[in-house]
Amino acid sequence: MSELPERNDEEAVMSRATRNVIDLKHETFDKFYEYWLVEQDRCLQQLLAAARTGDGEEDRLRHLVNEVLRHYENYYANKSRSAKKDVLAVLSPSWTSTLEEAFLWIGGWRPTVAVHLLYSKASLQLEDQLEGFLRGISTGDLGDLSPEQLGQVDGLHRRTVREENKITEKMAKLQETVADSTMVRLSQAATEVKGEGGEVEEEVERALEKKKEGMEKVVGMADDLRMRTLKGVVEFLGPLQAVHYLIAAAELHLRFHEWGKKMDAAGKSDH
Amino acid sequence: MAEICCDVVSENEEPPQYKSSSRAARRRRIEIRRFKFVAGSVSPTESDCCKRLKTEASSLQRKCENTVEDGGGDGKVEDKPNLSSDLPPVFCDSFPKFGVTSICGRRRDMEDAVSIHPLFFRRELQISARFHFFGLYDGHGCSHVAMCCKERLHKLVAEELGYVEASLDWKGALDRSFSRMDAEVSGGGRKEQLASNCRCELQTPQCDAVGSTAVIALLAPDKIIVANCGDSRALLCRNGKPIPLSSDHKPDRPDELLRIQAAGGRVIYWDGPRVLGVLAMSRAIGARDNYLKPFVTSEPEVRVVERGGEDECLILASDGLWDVVSNETACDIVRMCLRGRRSPGCGGDEEGSSSSSDRACSDASMLLTKLALARQSMDNISVVVVDLRVRT
Repeated sequence: MSELPERNDEEAVMSRATRNVIDLKHETFDKFYEYWLVEQDRCLQQLLAAARTGDGEEDRLRHLVNEVLRHYENYYANKSRSAKKDVLAVLSPSWTSTLEEAFLWIGGWRPTVAVHLLYSKASLQLEDQLEGFLRGISTGDLGDLSPEQLGQVDGLHRRTVREENKITEKMAKLQETVADSTMVRLSQAATEVKGEGGEVEEEVERALEKKKEGMEKVVGMADDLRMRTLKGVVEFLGPLQAVHYLIAAAELHLRFHEWGKKMDAAGKSDH
Repeated sequence: MAEICCDVVSENEEPPQYKSSSRAARRRRIEIRRFKFVAGSVSPTESDCCKRLKTEASSLQRKCENTVEDGGGDGKVEDKPNLSSDLPPVFCDSFPKFGVTSICGRRRDMEDAVSIHPLFFRRELQISARFHFFGLYDGHGCSHVAMCCKERLHKLVAEELGYVEASLDWKGALDRSFSRMDAEVSGGGRKEQLASNCRCELQTPQCDAVGSTAVIALLAPDKIIVANCGDSRALLCRNGKPIPLSSDHKPDRPDELLRIQAAGGRVIYWDGPRVLGVLAMSRAIGARDNYLKPFVTSEPEVRVVERGGEDECLILASDGLWDVVSNETACDIVRMCLRGRRSPGCGGDEEGSSSSSDRACSDASMLLTKLALARQSMDNISVVVVDLRVRT
C-alpha cells in the first residue's frame, strides 16, 4: 500500500494538472500538449504503483481510473477549443512526430485501436499466466476477461467500426469538395486576375471557411468517438483490469511519441 | 454483424456488471464450488435426477428466452422441452450444455455466424430421434451467405429429415439440405430480408464471390452426425483424445485437388493454395452461379459417430481458431474447463452446480477464443463447445 500515493497527493497532482490547463487557456495547443505528456507520465507512474499493490482497495483504484479518464477528457476539451480556433492545425498537428502522423485518423488515433490495445494487452497477460490459468489461479488482470466482458468488448468493437466508417465517409465527402464547382471557378478566377483580385480572395476565404467548419465538426465527432471508446472499454473492466489497461494505453502513447521524436531527430541530422 | 442465434455472449448491452470480489471471497466461492462438485459426484437417487432434470429444463428455458435472438421464432416455442416426468433417468442429458463465443477479433468485419437450436427436430414417440442442431458458418466476401445459413439451414435440415423414414439416409438428407441452401443464397430468394445488415449491397449479381463455410452437428442421444463444407471444423474429444469429425476442404487436400482438376479447374498458389487463384477453400455454400462452380461445390462430407461414455465434448470452430490452435490444445483446454477447475475470470458467478456446466462450456469457448487472440489470430473467431459427458 505504501507505494500508492495518498489520495490527497493524487488529488493535489490532479488539481495542479487542472490548474496548468487553466493557465494554458491562452497558450497554444503545442504548449498544452507538452504539459499534458508530463502529466500522462505522472498518471502512468501512479497506475504502475497501483498495479504493483494488486487487488485490494477497489474504491481507490476506481478513483485513480476516473482521474486518469478525466485527464484524457481534459485533453479533448482543450483540443476542441483549439480546433475552434484553427482546425487545420489540429488536422496536421505540429505536436506529433512524423511517425505518429502516419498513424493518424482524422487528427488522432483510430478509435478501434482502443479495442486492439485491449486484445493485445490481454493476450500478453494471458500468455504470462497460462500455466496458472490451467491450475485455476486468478490474477485479476486482463488475462482474466470473462465471457461477458469479451462479449461486451466485441459489441463495442463492432459499433465502433460502424461509427468509424461513418465518420470516414463524412470526411471523404468533405475532402471531395476540394474540387467542387466553387473551388474550380475560384481557382480559375484567381489565375486570371493574377493576385489583384481582392474580391476573389474574399470569396476564397468564405468558401474555405465553410469547409473548415465542416472539418471542425468531423474532428469533433472523431474525438468524441475516441473518448467514448476508451471510456467504453474501461467501463467493462474491473478496477484492477482498468488500471492495467490504462497503463498499456499510456505506455504505448508515450513510447510511440518518443520513438517518433527520436526518428525525426535522426532524420534531421542526416540532412 | 454479430450473428449468433443462441449466444451466451451476444451483443446485449447490459450495464457493465463487474462483481467485485476480494481474493478471499473468491477463494471462499471456489471452496463452495468444490464442495458442490464433490457432492454432485455422489451417484444420484432418482429424486435427485428428477430435480436435476427440472433445473436443466429451466436452464434451457432461460437460454431460449434470454439468448436465442432468433427473430423468426421458428419452432422455438414448440421446441421448448416438453418434460414429462416419466422420462427415464437415462435421458437426464437430453438437453445439452453448451457455450458459444463469437467475436469480430482483429478484423473490421464480422462474417462468422453461429446458430444453435436445441431439439430442432424430433420424431414423436422415438426418444432416440431427438436432435439438437449446432451450426457454424464462416462467410467470405460478405456476411450475407453466412447470415442466410444461420437463418435457414436448420430449417432445411429439419424438413429433409422429416421426409425420410426411420432408416435415415443421413448423407442424402444433408446433401439435399446443403444443396437447397446453396440454391437459396444463389437464387437471391431470401436475400432482401438481410440486406440491411449487409455491407456488399448484395442484391447485385456482382457480389458473386460471396459464400460461406458450413459445419453442422446434429446431436442425438446415441449419435452425432456432422456435415461439413469448407474449412471450419468439428472436433470430438473422447477420452482425452481429439477426434476430428470433419476434414477441412482446402484446395491442396489431395482428393480435393484431384476433384477440382477432374472438373477442369486449377489450384493456383496466391497467398496459399486457391481455387483458380481466388478461393482458399475447395467447398462452400454460395457462389453457385459464378465461375468458381463446379470446382467449388456445396456438397458436404457427412460423418456419423456413435456416442460413447468416454465422449467429453464437441467443439465447432471457424478457422480463426484452428489456424492458431491445434486440435490437441483445444481438446486439453476444454477438458480442463469441463473438469470443473475454476478458470479465472468467471466474474464471480454464483450459479449452482446444475448450470455450472453451461458456464464451464462458455468459459471453455471463451478461453479458446482468447488463446486464438493471444496467438495473433487476425480473423473472426467463433467457437461452440458442447458438453457430451453423461451426467450420472
